[in-house]
Amino acid sequence: MNDRLAAAGEGVGGPRLWLAAAAIGAVFGVFALRLFQLQIVEGALLSEQSERNSIRTLRLEAPRGDILDREGRVLATTRPAFSLEVLPSELRRPERTFRALGQLLDEDPERLEARLGHPRGRARFQPVRLASDLPFEELARVETHRYALPGVLTDVSPRREYLDGDLFAHVLGTIGEIRAEQLEKPEYEGYSSGDVIGQSGLEAVLETRLRGEDGGRNVVVDVAGREVDLLDEVEPVAGSPVRLTLDLDLQRAAVEGFAPERPEDPEKLGALVALDPRTGDVLALVSRPSFDPNAFAGGVDTATWRGLMHDERKPLQDRAIAGQYPPGSTYKAIVAAAALEEGVTSKVSRVFCPGSFWFGGRRYGCWRKEGHGSVDVHAALVRSCDVYFYEMGTRLGIDRLAFYAKAFGLGHPTGIALPEEKGGLVPSSEWKKRRFGVPWYPGETVSAAIGQGYNLLTPLQLAVAYAAIANGGHLVKPRLVMPDLPPGVTEEPASFVSEVPVKPENLAIVRSGLMGVVEEPGGTGARGRVPGVQVAGKTGTAQVAGLQHFEGLDESKIPIKFRDHAWFVAFAPVENAEIVVAVLAEHGGHGGSAAAPIAQKVMARYFEKKAEREGLLQAGTQAPVPAAAADEGTVPARPEARTAHLESEAAHARP
Amino acid sequence: MLGLDRRAWQHFDGVLFGLVLLLIAMGVANLFSATHAGTDGVAPEFQRQMVSIGLAAVGLSVALLVDYRRLERLAFPFYFLACLLTLSTLVLAPVYKGNQSWLVFGPLRLQPSELAKLGLVLALSRYFQRHPPEQLHRLRDLWGPGLVIALPVGIIVAQRDTGVALLTLLVGATYLLFVHIPWRAWAVVLAAGSAGFAGLVRFALEPYQRSRILDFLEPGRDPLASGYQAIQSRIAIGSGGLLGKGFLEGTQTQLRFLPTQHTDFIFSVLAEEWGFIGSLLVLSLYLVLLLWGLLVASRSKDGFGAMLAIGVVAMLFWPAAINIAMVLGLAPVIGVALPLFSYGGSAMIANLIGVGLLLNVSMRRYLF
Repeated sequence: MNDRLAAAGEGVGGPRLWLAAAAIGAVFGVFALRLFQLQIVEGALLSEQSERNSIRTLRLEAPRGDILDREGRVLATTRPAFSLEVLPSELRRPERTFRALGQLLDEDPERLEARLGHPRGRARFQPVRLASDLPFEELARVETHRYALPGVLTDVSPRREYLDGDLFAHVLGTIGEIRAEQLEKPEYEGYSSGDVIGQSGLEAVLETRLRGEDGGRNVVVDVAGREVDLLDEVEPVAGSPVRLTLDLDLQRAAVEGFAPERPEDPEKLGALVALDPRTGDVLALVSRPSFDPNAFAGGVDTATWRGLMHDERKPLQDRAIAGQYPPGSTYKAIVAAAALEEGVTSKVSRVFCPGSFWFGGRRYGCWRKEGHGSVDVHAALVRSCDVYFYEMGTRLGIDRLAFYAKAFGLGHPTGIALPEEKGGLVPSSEWKKRRFGVPWYPGETVSAAIGQGYNLLTPLQLAVAYAAIANGGHLVKPRLVMPDLPPGVTEEPASFVSEVPVKPENLAIVRSGLMGVVEEPGGTGARGRVPGVQVAGKTGTAQVAGLQHFEGLDESKIPIKFRDHAWFVAFAPVENAEIVVAVLAEHGGHGGSAAAPIAQKVMARYFEKKAEREGLLQAGTQAPVPAAAADEGTVPARPEARTAHLESEAAHARP
Repeated sequence: MLGLDRRAWQHFDGVLFGLVLLLIAMGVANLFSATHAGTDGVAPEFQRQMVSIGLAAVGLSVALLVDYRRLERLAFPFYFLACLLTLSTLVLAPVYKGNQSWLVFGPLRLQPSELAKLGLVLALSRYFQRHPPEQLHRLRDLWGPGLVIALPVGIIVAQRDTGVALLTLLVGATYLLFVHIPWRAWAVVLAAGSAGFAGLVRFALEPYQRSRILDFLEPGRDPLASGYQAIQSRIAIGSGGLLGKGFLEGTQTQLRFLPTQHTDFIFSVLAEEWGFIGSLLVLSLYLVLLLWGLLVASRSKDGFGAMLAIGVVAMLFWPAAINIAMVLGLAPVIGVALPLFSYGGSAMIANLIGVGLLLNVSMRRYLF
């Protein structure tokens, strides 16, 4: 050690070390004083109390906000659910208790006891749930005998209720306990395990709006676990209600459309989307088969969950936004718009259809083997002539076709506020090179032009594309939640994202062709007609792979799961359309017969409601009408008098 | 050379060793009670802690037996190794309990940031032995130690383990108390320090940590989340009274109202079961231990030994002060464990190695 280093040691021995010692002493002095304050001054009272009692903090769960339809009718609400619990550490004479409970609940005492299990250790201080969502009479019976049953507790907590069962299951989504991996995410900051959150659909998307703020209370409980004193309480704050753009009546009409014609038939599968092309409001969003989301509200049991997961009809999939299907002939309207806009055809130029089309040494048949003769664009749409569109496809080429398809909103998600949405597929030469590493063959364009081949889209995308045809070229971003209007504004702002690069006069030609599909004799969509309104539409058939085996067979002889998917997409009135409906009937066969009647039901209901509204207005009655109510800036009336089932106070009232 | 000559043993610091043994014994008894709560036998946390104490005793022995002056040359290698291990968690470790500071080897889970704290003490002691602090007069002389401190702190901040990062920073900053720079330079250091702290609060703190600070400023803001622990802790401490409820008799403890009673809130278990008398005894033991450490520093004959002793005192003082302040409701709940008392193996090992170094410096003060 040299002197310099030795000197260093002496340097720290100086006044600064004394300073450090004094600082440490001061800190511990403060601690001693604080302990004195807590334990001797304030503690006298608390320690006396805690000899007999303990203080517990209980959580008061906040009810979720209601979900309303566009007219303010409640679709999802929260009601109090009573459950029966047993605190093992307080249970005296278990055999007698369970026998009594068995009588009160009309259940086998042994099964109740089995539910309790054999909690050991610290689990004995945790209440075990024996029965949840008790009917009120059973709750009352237990409550009257509770003083004879130490350790038996009843608890009330808010429970989600979907008033229309499976009607809105996919779009509203489900709730469930927060999962461990979700707790780690920043967006769930402030949540703790056991919290119930929106797990899918709008319940998940609107979580922050629907969720209230939990409250809590500190209570003094005696040795038997009974609350003897309330120290303080923070009231829970209920979540905000959210008004959707959906219309309960149209949703109902749509689901009725999927019901089997004869009761012994299986339910029809498929999806329906109804949009308001003027605003982008989603009026109905249906996917069948569905499931009952109420089964998820109190924690779904394993058997139900497995059943849903393994059901080969895939009831959990939201076909309207996540089902991807070949567009079939519904694609022809877009091909027509593209061909007109690119100048490869005109309103008057004609193509001769002999019943087949030769390209690259291969024959592509028209669905009508005898051919359609000479057709212009109007006739080609009305009669769905394949050859006309084969020709248009080859004139345009795949990449120009892809450009217009994407401009109509296909090939990418529409941006609806649902996380499960899929984007479909619009093939292009660049895509094929990237995906398969081989060039695009011109022959593939031929089948792409009639919506077969690689093309995939969702029913929602089809509705959006036709909304653009109907509204003069505005591409909408479908909207599910009513926007909050600033005071004084009554007109809903439109949810447009872009303009389709097709001139209005060309869209008008397409609209006129589509009107012919429904309204002209010989059109394929005659079953979409609605009395008193001019309807435009298009049928389509999406081929299911492996169909060659059944070619030439009568449709009814083909097993259902190999039958084609049927499309029908329509809007009405033809000019200044107010509603667009896209229907996919899975394995339905022909669009005209399977899908069009379902769309027709929804459109008919829409115009029926409109007529009722206008009739009431003309009659000069004071009946509450959504439009009138909106003028006054109030929530529209609830025609069916469906109000929230409980006020927030009731939701957390304790027995 | 282990330096185990007779003279060293003659000067073995029995007082220091006795203090530490007593604190550990009380800590073990207290942890038994905290983890016992409701179990029929011995809780797994308690068993793991006993294994950690065994490993820590080995660490203490090694730190004691090797003459500390031989450790001088190993100071920086140890420092860099500890920093590297800490850094490796960012690559290797999964996010566990909200941060990324654990290395997992089968049943063993190591938190290398605790070792980085120890490495920082060794490295700074070595640095200030080369550059005696009383000879540092200018602000620019602080670049070197500043960098030595910044490296491990930066890595630990990146792990999002804000509590340990803060402690490491405080341990490093403690050394700066002994440099002789003019008051204007101090102003600059303080300004830089406050800016760094503000940056930490603004950017490195997780939302829940920020909300805990808000909870502290406004108690009862959220009775169920972080404020819950503070309120329950206060009830537990208050109900302890003068004499306490007795071993294993604390009702708040045994009913497990405090979720982290075996880690961050261990002191409230002590206060409930042993009362004002027991808490005051433990506070006194800590105080004597820390002052004794400063005495060891002042009696050391060389700069490295003195600096080492100061570092170990800082390593024990800061977490103890912050933890107790937090449990007593004098500071926000930021998740700092109580040294020698709380459940946690890595901290126990690092702290007992520190105690070993302190004993080492103390017993070799005459060997010149």
